[in-house]
Amino acid sequence: MDSLKHLPPGTLMMLGALLLPILARFEKKFAAIGAVALSLISLLLFCLTPSGQFGNIELFGNQLNLVRIDSLSRIFGVIFHLAAVMASIYALHVKDTKQHIAAMIYAGGAIAAACAGDMVTLFVFWELTAVSSVVLVWAGEGRGAYKSGMRYLIIQVISGVLLLSGAIMEQADGKGLVFGSFSGGDSSIFDLSLGAQLILLAFGIKAAFPLLHNWLQDAYPQATATGTVFLSAFTTKLAIYALARGFAGTHELIWIGCAMTLFPIVFAVIENDLRRVLAYSLNNQLGFMVVGIGIGSELAINGAAAHAFCHIIYKALLFMSMGAVLHRVGTTKATELGGLHKSMPWTTGFCLIGAGSISGFPLLSGFVSKSMIISAAGEAHMFWVWIVLLIASAGVMEHSGIKIPFFAFFAHDSGKRVKEAPLNMLVAMGIAAVLCVGLGIFYWWLYALLPSEPMAHHMDSHGHEHVEAYRPYTAPHVVMQLQLLMFAVLAFVFLMQTKLYPAEKRATNLDTDWVYRRFIPTGLEGLSKAYHAVDGMWRSVAVGGIGGLIATMRKFFNENGVLSRPWATSTMAFWAAVLLGAFLLVYFT
Amino acid sequence: MNTENKTPDDPSWFEKKSNIRLMKIGLVVFCVLLLLAQLTYKNDHAHFPEYENFFGFEAIFGFVAFVVVVFLGMGLRLIIERDEDYYDG
Repeated sequence: MDSLKHLPPGTLMMLGALLLPILARFEKKFAAIGAVALSLISLLLFCLTPSGQFGNIELFGNQLNLVRIDSLSRIFGVIFHLAAVMASIYALHVKDTKQHIAAMIYAGGAIAAACAGDMVTLFVFWELTAVSSVVLVWAGEGRGAYKSGMRYLIIQVISGVLLLSGAIMEQADGKGLVFGSFSGGDSSIFDLSLGAQLILLAFGIKAAFPLLHNWLQDAYPQATATGTVFLSAFTTKLAIYALARGFAGTHELIWIGCAMTLFPIVFAVIENDLRRVLAYSLNNQLGFMVVGIGIGSELAINGAAAHAFCHIIYKALLFMSMGAVLHRVGTTKATELGGLHKSMPWTTGFCLIGAGSISGFPLLSGFVSKSMIISAAGEAHMFWVWIVLLIASAGVMEHSGIKIPFFAFFAHDSGKRVKEAPLNMLVAMGIAAVLCVGLGIFYWWLYALLPSEPMAHHMDSHGHEHVEAYRPYTAPHVVMQLQLLMFAVLAFVFLMQTKLYPAEKRATNLDTDWVYRRFIPTGLEGLSKAYHAVDGMWRSVAVGGIGGLIATMRKFFNENGVLSRPWATSTMAFWAAVLLGAFLLVYFT
Repeated sequence: MNTENKTPDDPSWFEKKSNIRLMKIGLVVFCVLLLLAQLTYKNDHAHFPEYENFFGFEAIFGFVAFVVVVFLGMGLRLIIERDEDYYDG
């Protein structure tokens, strides 16, 4: 039992996944039950594994550290396991065994990556999550899912290649393979070595940094109802973990994070597909975490880790509720939905709890985690960052707090009459909802899991600094947060009443994927046409030239041609004599 | 749990006009109470006291930010909106 700690956590899920097809031979649903069992046993094992560094092996003269469990990898390991348990319960009805296999390898890979102590181990599991998760996208319906999955896979693999390149450069520089802090806790991107910059770029792609983000909104809504729940939990949060480990206190991350919190909320306002709205919302939430990592103070890193923890649960809950709608109605387009609260009351209730959590209502999980990041910005006296995060909070209220539940379950009655979600989906959503409420009320459970005990610093009126344990529930904090949220709701009611709120529309909204889906292909097509035109012109000139040459040859060499008619021997003798004469002349002069 | 489809066709509690009106009134009352609540405490822990202790700062901020985000979205629609089958064509 003791030697098990030397195997990367999640190994059981990855290896067990390979046995699921055998279970499925007896009965299809055994594979699904097997996935739940694997997640639960792995969670138990992880809780029993002590903190420390294990699995130290030497490979080609390099020291690898397969397992490093400290306070940062612990919290991510725990939440990844919880997400795997919830998502696999949610997927219990799925008959397609390959999805269960892919999901278990994906979840196990993410857990192992979050506990990797060196760059090579990190790279291996980083790529494994990419390759396994694409199966969940491909399992979605239609050719759109296949193409989208292809784009997703290419981008994810590029991230892995950058990671490996960066790691090799660091190793060649003599910095070793240990996965530690590249920024030293306080630096600029421009002070980093080239290898570290490449690694940051690799993490940035997976964390959906602005302009590198669009694989997320492209692929996640294409996956199956259950697949998206898995996808929403692991890939991007693994990147957040990696950023927190490697680049805490890198100043530029603050502004990158601010941009990430802002632009998706505007896209989310006009997006019709509610699962794509959630993908934009996910991007916006990652922004909060990236800001926290950029600030880099203890409170900020605690906030980023806490927010990742809460976010995985409420985001999974929201994706589960929309997945239930997709499962029953067959679409998540806002234009097709409305009034579903009558058919799916439980799903509606769970969705509202998720929406309240992500918006940061007191007594729900988002409130106790997001507030830490905003407070950290305040403590660092970053006024504009603080303002941006407040705007972003109002934006979250718009797209996730109001738009998702309102247009799916209320608004006008779409006339859709469907069954409530299957029992397994309701159970999974119920667990997530209980966690959202539980973490919001008993927040000290969460705080006990954080990298360090969260402390608040503030100045009194005499300029003395006070340090005390961070408390989310203070009267000013609760009142101010409720003011922000409830007046945002008031604004929504006002805009609806005055008919100023934009109606949902069936449309495609362009994003950066336009560059590689339209601009580059169209540009290449144009280039190729131009090349063919020039190439064709040269070819016709060349063919014309050769044709002319052949005609000339024909003219001279046909039976009547000058060069092919019979010649008299005397002429030959005459010219030979002339040549000899000329040769003698040249030779003697 | 019974997951059979038994959706009633008559309006639910949330769809009745009188209840919608009731919810709107409730919302306004709650918002007013939240504003008044700010008068009941003194915030010594503010990082930006001139803003955070300004009466109704977050209320105004939430309302305005929400409206601005929605209008920005409408503006963005003018630039990036295409037919639904734009990429399929």
